[in-house]
Amino acid sequence: MKRLIIVRLAWTFAILLGVSFIAFILMRALPGDFVLAAAGTTSVSAEALDGMRAELGLDRPVLEQYLVWLGNALQGDFGASFVTHAPVLQELAPRFFVTLQLSLVAIVMALLIGGVTGLASARLRGRVDWLVRAINGVSLAVPNFVIATLIVLLAGLYFPQLVVFGYTPFAVDPLKSFGNLLLPGLALGLAVSVTISENTRAAVLEVSNQDFVMVARAKGLKRSTVLFQYLLRNAATPIITVAGLQVATLLGGSILVETIFAIPGMGQYLFDSITRRDYPVIQAIVLVAAGVVVLINMLVDIAYIRADARVRL
Amino acid sequence: MGKASDSETTMLAISRRNMLRLGLVSGAMFMSAGSLAFGQDGSPKRGGTLTIGADADPIGLDPVTLTAYSSMDFTALIYSGLLRWTPDMEIEPDLAVSYEQPDATTYVFRLREGVKFHNGQDFSADDVKHTFDRIMDPASNSRLRSYYANVAEVTVVDPYTVEFKLSSPDAAFLRFLATNPDGVIVPKGVEGLTEKPVGTGPFVFESYQPGQQFTLSANKGYYEEGQPYLDTVVFKFYRDQATLTSALRSKAVDMTWLKDPRVAAQVAKTSPDLVSAPGQTSRTFPVWINLKEGPLTDVRVRRALSLATNRELCVQVVLGGSGKVGAMLPESHVGGYDGKSELPYYGVDVEGARALLAEAGYPDGIDLGEYIVVAANALDVACAQLLQQQWAAAGIRVQINPMETAPLLAHWNEGTFGTLLSVALSWSADADAILQRIAPSSQFGAALGIKDDELDKMIDMARAEIDPAARAELHDKIQRLIADNVYVLQVYQYPLRWELWWNYVDGYEPLAANIRSYVRTTWRND
Repeated sequence: MKRLIIVRLAWTFAILLGVSFIAFILMRALPGDFVLAAAGTTSVSAEALDGMRAELGLDRPVLEQYLVWLGNALQGDFGASFVTHAPVLQELAPRFFVTLQLSLVAIVMALLIGGVTGLASARLRGRVDWLVRAINGVSLAVPNFVIATLIVLLAGLYFPQLVVFGYTPFAVDPLKSFGNLLLPGLALGLAVSVTISENTRAAVLEVSNQDFVMVARAKGLKRSTVLFQYLLRNAATPIITVAGLQVATLLGGSILVETIFAIPGMGQYLFDSITRRDYPVIQAIVLVAAGVVVLINMLVDIAYIRADARVRL
Repeated sequence: MGKASDSETTMLAISRRNMLRLGLVSGAMFMSAGSLAFGQDGSPKRGGTLTIGADADPIGLDPVTLTAYSSMDFTALIYSGLLRWTPDMEIEPDLAVSYEQPDATTYVFRLREGVKFHNGQDFSADDVKHTFDRIMDPASNSRLRSYYANVAEVTVVDPYTVEFKLSSPDAAFLRFLATNPDGVIVPKGVEGLTEKPVGTGPFVFESYQPGQQFTLSANKGYYEEGQPYLDTVVFKFYRDQATLTSALRSKAVDMTWLKDPRVAAQVAKTSPDLVSAPGQTSRTFPVWINLKEGPLTDVRVRRALSLATNRELCVQVVLGGSGKVGAMLPESHVGGYDGKSELPYYGVDVEGARALLAEAGYPDGIDLGEYIVVAANALDVACAQLLQQQWAAAGIRVQINPMETAPLLAHWNEGTFGTLLSVALSWSADADAILQRIAPSSQFGAALGIKDDELDKMIDMARAEIDPAARAELHDKIQRLIADNVYVLQVYQYPLRWELWWNYVDGYEPLAANIRSYVRTTWRND
């Protein structure tokens, strides 16, 4: 077990190294750099642009730039944002928390929506099942930024006084902070809720055909006891695993959803940094996002090992 | 052309008389702007917060080193310069009380006394010199160095008198000085303005949370008596235009500006309490042409392209009528194009275009390949699609390639695009900054491959022409020359930003430059 975790960690390190290299090369392979993106259509002389590039070290060969970055990163120094000149990690920490908060809201909403619809569809079947699956199909097909834009437009049109876009920091007003995240959480969580709904439906259907459920029913237990104590408890394990694996979907989705809802999280920051070519920030966010996904996957794997003796073989 | 040129005439005529104080004139000018601020029901109310919806974060707040347009929203309230613009785009003194011009290349500014920077430091001629020393220092990499390339020497005559010596007469000089942040003064001996700006403007920098909020508070020691009226100005950030619109409608912000005139016009109609100010046209939508190689090196093909273009239709369809036909210079500049007068190859003539193409050896039409546009700008993409149809009618085929902004800018700056590329040109302090985009001797003109000695000479002459009427005439000739040779195909001109605010915001004046200088006279009447 210990050895397995050590091997896993080594792999994680190798993956992050690879990810950082690919992100670095790809971003620089894209035409246009920070200096040009900042200037936009403002006329700036070529020599001023070159001077700024030299100041930021952008005039050196890409490989050299990468090695310098890697050397610093290994010592925990991820550089400073080209835009604000503040250390990247210092800029990133509060935004990471915001994205975490949004993801939490999104996953809770997804679990609620997905759980209820999946359960309803499995238990009631018939028209309800048909309706849920039709809605799921649509929700899965429509990208989250379309849903987000629709929510913004409709809420802005019909409830302009009620819905306030933006973000209230958790420390200022925890309740309002979460309240602000309900609509973005919905936009972000909808696609995930489909996966959860479909998995819940499948798991409940599978479990309900098993002998112990029939025995419970035959014993004359109450319907609710059978549902919650027997059915859901047994169906829950695969559902939670699936929910855990949706973290990557949430991180990816947060990029556009945060941008549209003006939520100052890591996703919006990545979007801005890519348009502005703020290389140190992009590099750090890609690394953090990759780290989170790898970590979650590792935790899921470890949980499996603990739960299921067969995996250890 | 407009009022700007008239005022320059006045100012120069006066300033040429020895040491005549401009204070009186500027006082009168200020009253006219001020009277608007006081509205119908008497004196402005003090206090309160104005919340402005912004669509982009600043990239640095040091006026000497910043290059991003988005930074200028913020510097406009924090810093001030020797001169400034009135709502009619006339120049008036600001940190200077007057100036004289003993000869064509010398300007002597008398400075306001008793002005303090936000950190308590006294403002004096040393700060003016320091600012220009920084701009001219190659190590600063300031974009302003090329704007002020004509400034040979800045001398401190006494603590409140400063003399600028130019190497040649320069019509752009005063206009750059009047533009925030191109002409604003930074304090001597203060470092780190990029993150912690210190100026002499009406508002003091308080705090900034990137992506969330930018907060300014009133400068208690501001030199305009009684101003600013507001206690606090808060910028809130909304990247998405739809969200920004919703924020305005829900009064989460009191004021904002929108990019799309059709959307702005729609929003303005949703409530009678919304004030909408389309502003003067300050931005043009050009199709840049690669003149280095390919079929467009032939002037006949370019003229065919121009004849096949129905500019008026683009104004109607894409801008919903909120704009005018464009030429190289927008109307708000000296000698800018009024959108109506006759220019070579501006009339729509599809048959004529076909004939020119046939003459150039393309009787069956021509495929020009990729036409690159800014993907993020819905207006640009819509116009490109309309142009594609119009050109197709004359047998000119293009494929639209909507591109991310950063690589597009690289192609434009380096002239590495195939045949056609569009990126809108925003307001600049002086027409020369716009003309440099095609001047054959400039890096930009060279990148596009424009070779025309006459054009080059005329652009140089125009910048050196101090008399506004003569300059307007030169600008007219330059625009004719450009239209005749179709060095760039200008389509339309429109307001860069369409400003909107709720009617409880009083005393605000939008500028063609889209600099929010008049937040200093703004107050809340609720």
